[in-house]
Amino acid sequence: AATAAGSLRRAGWALWRGRAVVRCQLSPPQRALQASALLRRVSDEQKEPFASSSQQHFDSHPTDHQPEKEPQGPRPSYTGQGGQESEDYESEEQLQHRILTAALEFVPEHGWTAEAIAEGAKTLGLSVAAAGMFHSDGSELILHFVSQCNTKLSELLEQEQKLVQLGEAEKKPTDQFLRDAVEARLRMLIPYIEKWPQALSILLLPRNIPSSLNLLSSMIDDIWHYAGDQSTDFNWYTRRAVLTGIYNTTELVMIQDSSPDFEDTWQFLENRVADAMNMRDTATQVQSTGEAVVQGLMGAAVTVSN
Amino acid sequence: GGVSLRLCSTRVTLEGINRPVIDRIIRVDHAGEYGANRIYAGQMAVLGRSSVGPVIQQMWNQEKDHLKKFNELMVAYRVRPTALLPFWNVAGFVLGAGSALLGKKGAMACTVAVEESIADHYNSQIRTLMEEDPEKYKELLQTIKQFRDDEREHHDVGLEHDAEAAPAYVVLKTAIQLGCKAAIFLSERI
Repeated sequence: AATAAGSLRRAGWALWRGRAVVRCQLSPPQRALQASALLRRVSDEQKEPFASSSQQHFDSHPTDHQPEKEPQGPRPSYTGQGGQESEDYESEEQLQHRILTAALEFVPEHGWTAEAIAEGAKTLGLSVAAAGMFHSDGSELILHFVSQCNTKLSELLEQEQKLVQLGEAEKKPTDQFLRDAVEARLRMLIPYIEKWPQALSILLLPRNIPSSLNLLSSMIDDIWHYAGDQSTDFNWYTRRAVLTGIYNTTELVMIQDSSPDFEDTWQFLENRVADAMNMRDTATQVQSTGEAVVQGLMGAAVTVSN
Repeated sequence: GGVSLRLCSTRVTLEGINRPVIDRIIRVDHAGEYGANRIYAGQMAVLGRSSVGPVIQQMWNQEKDHLKKFNELMVAYRVRPTALLPFWNVAGFVLGAGSALLGKKGAMACTVAVEESIADHYNSQIRTLMEEDPEKYKELLQTIKQFRDDEREHHDVGLEHDAEAAPAYVVLKTAIQLGCKAAIFLSERI
């Protein structure tokens, strides 16, 4: 029975590997984000600490292969180089993601530091020296957290979109949609809001700027996509620039907001989104006025020349 | 759990496609069709009421269809448009109008040069996609092949209308094709 289970798991692994190989064609930062998304789902699905007996785990492994489920028990028993072929191989990247996810729970207490990572490693049954895999300033932890939040936001927006398509919910007007999406994303910071200024300053380090900009821009693109943006001209850029501005300023307001449930922040957000909508209306008006003026001038020129 | 249904018809599954390659292809093709539109607009502005007006108008209409198709593909594949669009807007129109000011043959020469560049460019994209995975990109391949055939046709129409008799044909053609190469290079990246 154990052998049968073993061979089925191997088949499952091979299938997952195939998908992983396809995913590996993405550029490195995207791959890291994808892997992070994958790994988060794995860690969400198995909350039990790694330290539980591996024997039990093996026997209780379900033999049916569910398409959406990630591999059952990635065991960091061996993270050497030639491990691609062997079963139960967990790559270093996967291991890192598991540690970082576990570390998040210690951030409110220790901040975005190696201590939090060390504590996280401990809960997984690993030595605190595992924190040595990461930078001492906690960059990877913060980037991992941001990536995790972005993925959560995407899933949330996807769910909402499905509901609208199924007719179970009303389609929101654009300004409302943007407000809700930004609010939902910023609310994910609430548990860590005390330490968030530290995180922001680390994200601004030159070393981290490519990754953090990448994460920010894909999040903003996601929001606009689900808001129904279908622009294929320069509007694509102006919309994203405006929303990025709104998001960043609201985030800064949130950091120093002490009102109950951050109501001042949401009020600020509402005002900024309203400003953006006004700006768009004004731009349209300016354009039509401009066109009318040009037509008038052309008419005048024709008249004068006759 | 379970596979998520894509109920939205404008969305293609983005799993498993080579994003960087497809991104570039769609972005540059969109820019190309947009530019071609503006070139024909410029030519029509000058030669609209001449004898070649209807010919140019017909080719322009086909380019409009191409642009429409790429707008759809751009949304479906969630590709970023090139930031140089405002620039191509002006440059295309100026090229079209400028070549038309050299006369009907000048306009045709411009058409021949541009369409030849575009057809070559589409061919190399077709090669790339065939190397990647002809099955996965079947629809995209079909579109590009169709458009390449249309552009070839425009090229032939241009030749039929005495493009080669245009003033400084060789110089004009080379210069325009160099410009096209540069535009393609930039639009892929920016």
